Amino acid sequence: MAAGKSYSPDLRLNRRAMLKGAAGATALAALGSTFPMPATAQETTWTLANSMRSVANPYHATFAKGGADFAKTIGAKYETLVTEGNSEKGIADIKALLQRTGGKLILNVDPNDSPDARVIVEEVKKAGGFVVTQWNKPDDLHPWDFDPNYVAHMSFDGVPTAEAIANALFAAFGGEGGIVALGGILSNVPAIERKLGLDNAIAKTNGKVKLLDFQPADWNEQKAFDITQAWITRFGDEVKGVFAANDGMGMGALEALRQNGLAGKVPVVGIDGIDAAVKAIEAGEFAGTVAWDPLWTGGMGLAIPYAHVTGKIDITKEPKEHREFYGTGIIVTKDTVADYKNNPPKTDFADLWGKSTGQIQYRS
Amino acid sequence: MRSVAINGNALAQWRKWAPLAVLLALCILISLFNSNFLTLGNFIRLLNSASIPLILGMGATFIILMGSIDLSVEGIVALTAVIASLLVANDITPYTIGLLAVPIAVITGGAMGLLNGVLHVKLRTPSFMTTLGVGFAGVGIAMAVLGGDTVRISDQTFRFLSLGRIGGIPMAVWIAAASVAIAYVIQERTRLGRWLYAIGTDEMTARHAGIPIERTRIVIFTVAGLFYGLGGVLSAAQFGQGHALISQGRLFTTITAVVVGGTALSGGVGSVLNSVIGVLIVVVLANGLVLMGIEPYVQQGVQGLLIITAVALALDRSRLDVVK
Repeated sequence: MAAGKSYSPDLRLNRRAMLKGAAGATALAALGSTFPMPATAQETTWTLANSMRSVANPYHATFAKGGADFAKTIGAKYETLVTEGNSEKGIADIKALLQRTGGKLILNVDPNDSPDARVIVEEVKKAGGFVVTQWNKPDDLHPWDFDPNYVAHMSFDGVPTAEAIANALFAAFGGEGGIVALGGILSNVPAIERKLGLDNAIAKTNGKVKLLDFQPADWNEQKAFDITQAWITRFGDEVKGVFAANDGMGMGALEALRQNGLAGKVPVVGIDGIDAAVKAIEAGEFAGTVAWDPLWTGGMGLAIPYAHVTGKIDITKEPKEHREFYGTGIIVTKDTVADYKNNPPKTDFADLWGKSTGQIQYRS
Repeated sequence: MRSVAINGNALAQWRKWAPLAVLLALCILISLFNSNFLTLGNFIRLLNSASIPLILGMGATFIILMGSIDLSVEGIVALTAVIASLLVANDITPYTIGLLAVPIAVITGGAMGLLNGVLHVKLRTPSFMTTLGVGFAGVGIAMAVLGGDTVRISDQTFRFLSLGRIGGIPMAVWIAAASVAIAYVIQERTRLGRWLYAIGTDEMTARHAGIPIERTRIVIFTVAGLFYGLGGVLSAAQFGQGHALISQGRLFTTITAVVVGGTALSGGVGSVLNSVIGVLIVVVLANGLVLMGIEPYVQQGVQGLLIITAVALALDRSRLDVVK
């Protein structure tokens, strides 16, 4: 889902060292190293936990690491829970942990599915723990309705992000001409937001940039490849740039361009900040991507409730934009890529809302 | 009675050509909407898009002709793509064995296919479940090895397998053509080919005729695995990278292409050449919907409708007592 390498050097080195040292079976052992170990020194009676789909994707692996990093700074016990895409398992694990800790649990959870958030919040409130949710929750579920236990909800806003990256694309071909766009699964909220952001950017060019065609490629690289090939036939050199709603599809489009001798000539943009996209920016084939900051969400989802339980803040007195807020996506382009790689985003756990970019909006 | 029989024969004759007729009709229709469809450039792009599905389709055709099903396509493609990417010059491992990675990955695919066959035959488990399990295992291992990461290939000789061109035709297309030729020879010129039709038509009769059913099944699953392994190699070469989700969506296209081509899921009827037509129908359709500028919201419906039409025209129901 998002960048891994620049955020989690430790994790990456372990795996790479493992793969270099031995092949096959021992590589399986490397997986174990991605599970953060509970810290041994305990200076607080609260247990901290991050819950997410799996640690087998760079975004969530880094999210888990963010939690472990914060726990280390306060010497707290830390656990990683994985749902493996199973809502029941996710909720059962959380209930078990609430039981085991006697409710003294601070939970930072990326719910497997939106409806899960309500169940989790209710369980945590009943047990007297504290919870922060990420990305997925029903629109009518709000932290302030479960004071003080439902501390906050964090997400990223796809609209301004997509608009910014679309502008980077336009700039890369001189701001005038036709583009084609690859969307995600039509019913996904991020897909809808990113399309809206693209439409906004196009509207603001006053007709200078024209959307030749929009096709959903369902976040799929192969589909993006085949659609881009068809576009080359249909539009030929009318296509001045390719917008992809995520980097995976962007890579598919880039390879289709390469097969036709157009890589580097027709710029591509994506979203997520995966490593391959960052490399493609350096090679001059991608015009940009947006990097999320899972190290920050992973740690801050624990740091804010911890500030509340230790009396540094009273979450019930915080304004709504501190209870439901967007994080910062980092726009990476050819001008900023070197800086981005040399100075990966830093997280200051004391600066609770420093990277917040406003209160969450409900567009539906 | 007699006239019915003649009609039946005529119908059977027409059915044989139905997939080709559907393909031609599609091509004519699309070129009416967009004359760019008939250009040489688009023709090459179409073949390029068809090359990996063609190779996967060869393996799947054999399995389906036998009356079995193989759902391990994506798992084997993912694992072999990851293995190939890790063995050529890349950004994770120090191995740089170049084109030697090709036979290793293909043989790994064969080994996975062998596992499919042995589990299916020896444990007497339905091929549906066995291959589903092996497929999951393939994706799982690929995921465990890379931990959700992507390995990037820097070996240009390896990438030549997809990007290179001979006589203006991409290498992938040549490789796919060779695969079709090999599959055709297996089907037409070997005992294996005749046996798999016999098994697919009526396993009991085949058994009485002394055909080594179990051995044939295991060998066919292995051969299919070899084709998937080659598909994995080409996927890695095409994208210049390997990751556990590289094969997403391949299974559905492969099975659809085989069935649309006129090979019956009940076994015994069809041919690898039918699957070539089937793959081309699926690829031309996807290309054509974009060329014709059909609304994305409508595309999937059109795709579904055309697939049902193609199958309805091509399927020989004379041997079906019940339709399941």
